[in-house]
Amino acid sequence: MNIKPLVITFSLLLMSGSALADDDCDDPIAGWQPRESLRQKLEAEGWKVFRIKVDDGCYEVKGRDPNGHRVEAEYSPATFELREMEREDDDHDDDRHGKSRNDNASTNEDPVSPRGIVKGRPTVTVE
Amino acid sequence: MKKILFALGLAAVMTVPGYAQAREVTFSTQLSNYGGDGAYLALYLTDADGKYHETLWISGEKSKYYKHLRDWARGSGLNQAEYDGLTGASVTSGRTQNVTLELDDVMIDAGYQVRVDSAVEDMRDNRSDVVVPLTTEGSGKSIAGRGYVQSFVYNLK
Repeated sequence: MNIKPLVITFSLLLMSGSALADDDCDDPIAGWQPRESLRQKLEAEGWKVFRIKVDDGCYEVKGRDPNGHRVEAEYSPATFELREMEREDDDHDDDRHGKSRNDNASTNEDPVSPRGIVKGRPTVTVE
Repeated sequence: MKKILFALGLAAVMTVPGYAQAREVTFSTQLSNYGGDGAYLALYLTDADGKYHETLWISGEKSKYYKHLRDWARGSGLNQAEYDGLTGASVTSGRTQNVTLELDDVMIDAGYQVRVDSAVEDMRDNRSDVVVPLTTEGSGKSIAGRGYVQSFVYNLK
């Protein structure tokens, strides 16, 4: 049996998985633009910027977007390319990837506990 | 016919203890009004010496911040298999989170402890914000946390 195609496919899958899992920015520091430039760019777009800090190699911005939503966004420090945007107001944690909160969620899926001491998925509510 | 009866009997014997051994537990964590961003919480079990045993729930969706749940992070090795499917949203200041799950009976009154680690962005991390033995006697008894947790209580059904 020729396993070469299988090996190649599996390797590609593994590589793509690790690439997707990495949410860090990896711009060389020599190419970084000042964070003040990012602040000015965003404010020109109608943002109100509360704070910009460096997190995992990205510029992490907290502020209000032009629509008045409180957001946390991550930008590449060299290109100011938007990497991730997450709304923080109205108790919604949705971001561009469509993640959702588990507040008031009730699910019963297959057991997930590694050692099997928890049966099914916990039900979590926030009051 | 005998074979069918035997199979049914065997199935019943194997199934019934499985249900009998699981017990519903609700862990309620009330946060104080610390006034910062949503808190990341790790709810987990350790043995009597504080050695990590199992993750029950992680509040907070960005795994890059999990290292701030320090004791849990060290115990679990931040191994994704330890918390996969056991994560949800962070908990806002002043709110109460209730986690209800079916826990294996052997964990109760067996020297295990329930612990909560907590962390808030730009504020201090609290390892072992809550430490309480998991016992029948301790059910329903509220205790105070040391960090962002104002009070913690678990109820066994």
